[in-house]
Amino acid sequence: MSAHSETPHGGGHLHPPTANQSSRVDAPTLGMLLFIASEVMLFGSFFTAYFFVRVNAGAEWPLEPFELPKFVAGVNTAILVTSSFTIHWALQSIKRGNRAGLQAGLVLTLALGVTFLLTQFREYSRVGFSPADGAFGTIFYGLTGLHGAHVFVGLTLLTFATIRAFRGHFTPAHHHGVEIPGIYWHFVDVMWIVVYATIYLL
Amino acid sequence: MAARTEPPPYPVPWTQGRVAGWVATVDHKRIGVLYIITSLVFFLAGGVMALLMRTQLATPDTDFITRDSYNQLFTMHGTTMIFLVVVPIFAGFANYLVPLMIGARDMAFPRLNALSYWLFLLGGIVLLGSFFAEEGAARSGWTAYPPFSAYASGNGQDLWIVGLHILSISSLTGAINFIATIHNMRTAGMSWMRLPLFVWAIEIYAALLVIVLPALTAGLTMLLLDRTGWTNFFIPDEGGSSLLYQHVFWFFGHPEVYVMILPAMGIISEVIPVFSRKPIFGYKAIAFSTVAIGFYSLLVWGHHMFTVGLPFGLQIWFMLASLTIAVPTGVKIFNWIATTWRGNLIFDTAMLWALGFIGVFTIGGLSGIFLAIFPFDWQVHDTYFIVAHLHYVLFGGSMFGIFAGLYYWWPKMFGRRLGERLGKWHFWLTLVGFNLAFFPQHFLGLLGMPRRVYTYRDDDLWTAYNLVSTAGSYVMGLGILAFVANVVWSRKHGERVGHDPWLADTLEWYATSPPPPHNFDKVPYVTSARPLRDLRRRMAEQDS
Repeated sequence: MSAHSETPHGGGHLHPPTANQSSRVDAPTLGMLLFIASEVMLFGSFFTAYFFVRVNAGAEWPLEPFELPKFVAGVNTAILVTSSFTIHWALQSIKRGNRAGLQAGLVLTLALGVTFLLTQFREYSRVGFSPADGAFGTIFYGLTGLHGAHVFVGLTLLTFATIRAFRGHFTPAHHHGVEIPGIYWHFVDVMWIVVYATIYLL
Repeated sequence: MAARTEPPPYPVPWTQGRVAGWVATVDHKRIGVLYIITSLVFFLAGGVMALLMRTQLATPDTDFITRDSYNQLFTMHGTTMIFLVVVPIFAGFANYLVPLMIGARDMAFPRLNALSYWLFLLGGIVLLGSFFAEEGAARSGWTAYPPFSAYASGNGQDLWIVGLHILSISSLTGAINFIATIHNMRTAGMSWMRLPLFVWAIEIYAALLVIVLPALTAGLTMLLLDRTGWTNFFIPDEGGSSLLYQHVFWFFGHPEVYVMILPAMGIISEVIPVFSRKPIFGYKAIAFSTVAIGFYSLLVWGHHMFTVGLPFGLQIWFMLASLTIAVPTGVKIFNWIATTWRGNLIFDTAMLWALGFIGVFTIGGLSGIFLAIFPFDWQVHDTYFIVAHLHYVLFGGSMFGIFAGLYYWWPKMFGRRLGERLGKWHFWLTLVGFNLAFFPQHFLGLLGMPRRVYTYRDDDLWTAYNLVSTAGSYVMGLGILAFVANVVWSRKHGERVGHDPWLADTLEWYATSPPPPHNFDKVPYVTSARPLRDLRRRMAEQDS
């Protein structure tokens, strides 16, 4: 407010006008949070479909001939959760001016994310049913595939951040390019825990 | 200073050329104008589709257009008017006005803003281009219920889905942009309770889009996948459920209705006080009723599905929740009426549209209360009663609001007023034609005429009502022609205006008409919801 108090009433401001933010969240971060809110609704719709189909079926779940690889998916979950810590490490490093930590954190995150996707592809090829196998197959591939697509988007964003980190971008004061993809990555990660708990464990 | 006859001594960047200045622009005002003009062109296209349908229905047992073409027309008419006209034209108004009203330089993300517009245009081209697809455009109505939409042959349905996907992304990025702008770009002193009511409406419009558009995206993605034959989301034989689609669709579809009416109500809340020469009655009540309508709209989707056999308790819930929405809506209507009470009313065209809105929208709101009561809905579901109701709220509501906004802000956007003479022709022809076209449809619905049929058997009352309805639609068409003529006429002959031709009180009237690219040299410190009135008062005090 102190910036405005020089010309309180009647006076004017030389442009650009002072912004009156109603929150401490800056616009790019707010934009990403809103986008994540819409992503939550997208996943919500797919979860609705999942429970609708499951309750409709009214039978043992997963349906009789099918089985889900809980253990492999559990290991995969651990891999993705770890990547949330590595991206956090990368962000904290650049906040302290530690470029090597930033680069190492980003590369590790990318590696863990790619490992997750490859494991999931491998799971798809061995799980023994296809999306066309009844509503069960459809909803399994629908939810995990939707999540996989989000991992891919997150990896794409992080790839740009990594390239920029190696080109010497980002400073302790300016690191939006790491922070905002990082928020998205955390969301992808948390969403996977929900997907895993719902599809494999519940 | 030398006169500006020579070319400027510095090279003008190519992005400021006559055409490139519009194509490559990231200026919120130019993007807003692009949105509005494009939507109006789509409005004419959707109107031609409606007139073709009404011509077919004018007399019984007619073969003016084939059954298949009729099915394509009602599908594309609905989709066009909703996704290519009403939703994006409000994005256009919001683009133009929100930064000006809150005293900002531009939107929070100008380039994302340009992306939103160009995606909108692309989505529109894909959607309307689907008329040329194999077997023509989609034929399953704007709701696209499976199983029919999952099995419909040809590519029209696929292009319809892809077009809506593109439009959803456009609307979503736009909505995020509006919220970030309203939250982060307000000028000094512009607190929430000093925000113009139109900006309040856009905040809720954008919030609803962020919440519900993903449901549409999910439903349409599942439908598209089902159409490939690979998945079974909505295929009952394989354990899927076509009812699931209806739930997902209407979770989006009902709030979408409020996405299309709240900004119109915001426009009315700006126009009525200016032409009543009074402050708005109950500013806070109007602002908070906007929030309440937005919230309740998320809880009532089942009232579109009363005939599918929902559990009785759910039907009761959806009925009561839907009836509840009448309360905040009534709060707004009574506040507008109270604003005009003992006001010094000025019947310019913008005000006529706003007053017309109150009358016609209220009729649509009241038939909505009928429909929320499920035993009544069972009787008239999928009849012309529904068609009458939805046109009273979407044309009588949204479009009347849009026309009020166009007449009100046209001088700000183009520096010239739209003509009053043609404007009044536009208003009265449209108002009379609209009521002639849609009021008889209530009776048609009560007499049992189903919607979405391409022809009907001769029957005294059905034939008479249909003929009246068609005649009314032609009168409306004439009204819209008067508007087009007015736009063309005003380019040359419209009265030139200064900053604030209506003596309005919100910040957009502080800038020149049209405003310069940077909007404001300086912005007055905002001390109330009516900053320009405060400014005039301060200047009067200084003079005396």
